[in-house]
Amino acid sequence: MPKNLAIIAAAGSRKTETVIERALEDPGKRTLITTYTQENLAQIARRIEARVRVIPSHLTVMTWFSFLINHAIRPYQCSVLGEIDFIRGLNFKGKHGMYVQKSDPEKYFLDSNRDIYRNGVSDFACLANENSGGSVVGRLEQLFDQIFIDEVQDLVGFDLDLLDLLLKSRIAITIVGDPRQHTLSTNTSSKNKKYQGKGFLDWLKKRSDICDCEIRSTSDRCNSRICELASSIFPEFEPLESIGEPVHGQDGIHLISVAELPAYVKAYRPTILRWNRNANTQGLEAINIGVSKGSTYERVLIFPTKPMRNFLTDGNASKLSAPEKLYVAVTRARHSVGFVL
Amino acid sequence: MLAKIHIENFRAFREFDLDFRDGLNIIVGANDIGKTTLLEAINLALTLRFRGRPFAYELSPHLINQDAKNAYVAALAAGEQAAPPPEILIELFLDDRDEFADLKGENNHLKENAPGLRVRSAFNLNYSAEYRKFIEGDGPVTLVPTEYFDTEWITFGGNSIVRRSVPVNASLIDASALRLHAGADYYLQKTIDEQLEASDRVELSRVYRSLREAFSEDPAIAAINEKLGETQKEVTNKNLSLSIDVSQGASWESSLVPHLDDLPLQFIGGGGQSMLKILLALYKSLDKTHVVLIEEPENHQSPASLNVLVEKIRERCDGRQVFLSTHSSFVINKLGLDNLALLGDNAKPFRLTNLDPSTLAYFKKLPGYDTLRVVLAKRVILVEGPSDELVIQRAYRDAHGKLPIEEGVDVISVRGLSAARFLEIAKPLGKRVQVVLDNDGKTVAEVEERYAPYEQTEEISLHVSDPDQGPTLEPQLLNANGLGALNEIFEKDYKTKEALESYMRDNKTTCALQILEAKKKIAMPSYIEAAVA
Repeated sequence: MPKNLAIIAAAGSRKTETVIERALEDPGKRTLITTYTQENLAQIARRIEARVRVIPSHLTVMTWFSFLINHAIRPYQCSVLGEIDFIRGLNFKGKHGMYVQKSDPEKYFLDSNRDIYRNGVSDFACLANENSGGSVVGRLEQLFDQIFIDEVQDLVGFDLDLLDLLLKSRIAITIVGDPRQHTLSTNTSSKNKKYQGKGFLDWLKKRSDICDCEIRSTSDRCNSRICELASSIFPEFEPLESIGEPVHGQDGIHLISVAELPAYVKAYRPTILRWNRNANTQGLEAINIGVSKGSTYERVLIFPTKPMRNFLTDGNASKLSAPEKLYVAVTRARHSVGFVL
Repeated sequence: MLAKIHIENFRAFREFDLDFRDGLNIIVGANDIGKTTLLEAINLALTLRFRGRPFAYELSPHLINQDAKNAYVAALAAGEQAAPPPEILIELFLDDRDEFADLKGENNHLKENAPGLRVRSAFNLNYSAEYRKFIEGDGPVTLVPTEYFDTEWITFGGNSIVRRSVPVNASLIDASALRLHAGADYYLQKTIDEQLEASDRVELSRVYRSLREAFSEDPAIAAINEKLGETQKEVTNKNLSLSIDVSQGASWESSLVPHLDDLPLQFIGGGGQSMLKILLALYKSLDKTHVVLIEEPENHQSPASLNVLVEKIRERCDGRQVFLSTHSSFVINKLGLDNLALLGDNAKPFRLTNLDPSTLAYFKKLPGYDTLRVVLAKRVILVEGPSDELVIQRAYRDAHGKLPIEEGVDVISVRGLSAARFLEIAKPLGKRVQVVLDNDGKTVAEVEERYAPYEQTEEISLHVSDPDQGPTLEPQLLNANGLGALNEIFEKDYKTKEALESYMRDNKTTCALQILEAKKKIAMPSYIEAAVA
């Protein structure tokens, strides 16, 4: 049986909980938990502290970028740049100049402050490993017995090449995520584009000999009506099955008009979700869908975009421009999802 | 454990490299050769502290190596405005173990993939404008402007370090210059004390004393002291406890001082203090890898207590690495020549284990002292017997106006071919060594032939007596000075050279002593004159 495991799990199937449980299981194993966003990392840290008060010494919790910069890039930067102790931090916003080639690594990867461009981080890490004869992976093998990567669907581009190196290393890798919730990306590189989102399943299939895959389609968050709607957004995935609370009187999916809005909000007190700040939410305080990822709410009310509205009338998911956003929005709720039409 | 160190421009070292051994490392060398610097550098790399304080506060022009400073000052004086100020670099390499993997990477001057720690104090480019003003200012630059320096402390992984995350614990004990607990406050407090009215002092001590009683009666403190007493039984059979120091002159500003049998630590003799500090460090529990740095443990110790101390150091080297600098042949003999690292004038350290095995075996049999003499002296003259030693002393004084010892020159009497053994040590250390040899009836070439592996250099030279002037020192002296002059010095009245020579052979040392002390001018054979030049 391979040492590596991928858990592809529906929203509300306790993905992160599983990561935390397994990471705490054996204090004899030096363990890393990593994920792309600071928010998710903070939540992981909070949940660990809620269980065991302080993060135990066998456990390291750091973001994907910190992990790459501290443990792959800085140690072996000289194999790429020819200089030691050169790279400072991360440049999240900038990009290298248009005509800069990889053969000029200093300009290609770094800005004038010697901060590394976000798009080149995992590219650099892979290159450092190659140029140093595998020292990056060798060092990680000395440091960690197991690595957990949460929200793995956020990893794109050269991240996947690095993930491939990790799967083939001595370290036991557990990756957890839901391609249906691919709303964020660590970088905007065009590398491995076809394996983003739904395509990630294909990437995994090609590696079935080194990585087991466990599909979880049960949700203990959303009730059966919500699961039904969420499943219809991604018909190619196994349908979600609710193991949470049954549907009560007013639970389920509601379509409401702007006129009904005040009464609805008063009665249900839903969490309001919007596409972005440009959405007209009739003066109601709202959260961007992207930000809501990872959270659970009793009830949500969504201000849908045009394609979402079309989908609600014709049920044709293929025309959705961002099915993953709608999926995330719908699956935040336990009891009811409202759409303002 | 610590595998090796690389130092640039720090105190005694312009550039310095030394490989370490597991367990015990004994550092031997003359004064000012860098023994202390080495221990300080190890401690600095592990703690970023220098003499107990954060290095950033202690960084000053005086910590820059003098040769490096002089080169920099000279370059500026010669108009090379772009000459970079010398930077301090200390790189401490660790063994490649999983527990140190966090420190691993290629960020070291060798670009070697190893775990390690790196301290670098270098010019900060943000100060370029100020620096330009500094070098273009009035008057010549005479020191390195360390106020424009930044200090960086990183792992070889390239990440900055939090002290807590260093997987190695360091204890630096300097027994040669014991500082009192909170020593700086001690003098300050004394000054204040002198300003106070007698009644103030009485009141102060009363309150302070009652505070102490309350403190020691507190059940929590009592429990802690009981525990301390238990754990320190191995160290000393006296009772160690924590208490507020209320003795006259002790700081009332609530300093806690370790007490031995109710005596504050600073009231115990220097020997006791340093013994206690060393032993406390050695008996520290081993939760992290532990490095103990001891400077000259022989200081303040009587031979008997030094014996106990050295025995304990030897015992406690298991599972920790001990670095010890010493001048004491006793310590070296006891702890073993294998562990010795010799620092020479050119700061190129040398280990006795690098020697030919038979030479090492020879030195292991010698009393450690003679081995050390080669290392500690500025220059060595090797002679073939005690009488030669005395005559050479005289020759040296005639040539230089001072006895050799006054100029750090050591005249060592060695037997037969063992001079060659000393050359094996002296050569890698870059010591100046002259070997004074009798021809014993052979030709000069034949005598030199025996030393063939030791190429004569500017530092190392052989001086063989002229076979025409006699096989040994006595006829050589006789031929140089003549019968009459020597009869006068020895207060004898031999009629023939043969008779006097025979007398000299039978009373070698007495004659040599008389030559050393003679008021009259002595003519020295030319090979001796050349040797002492």
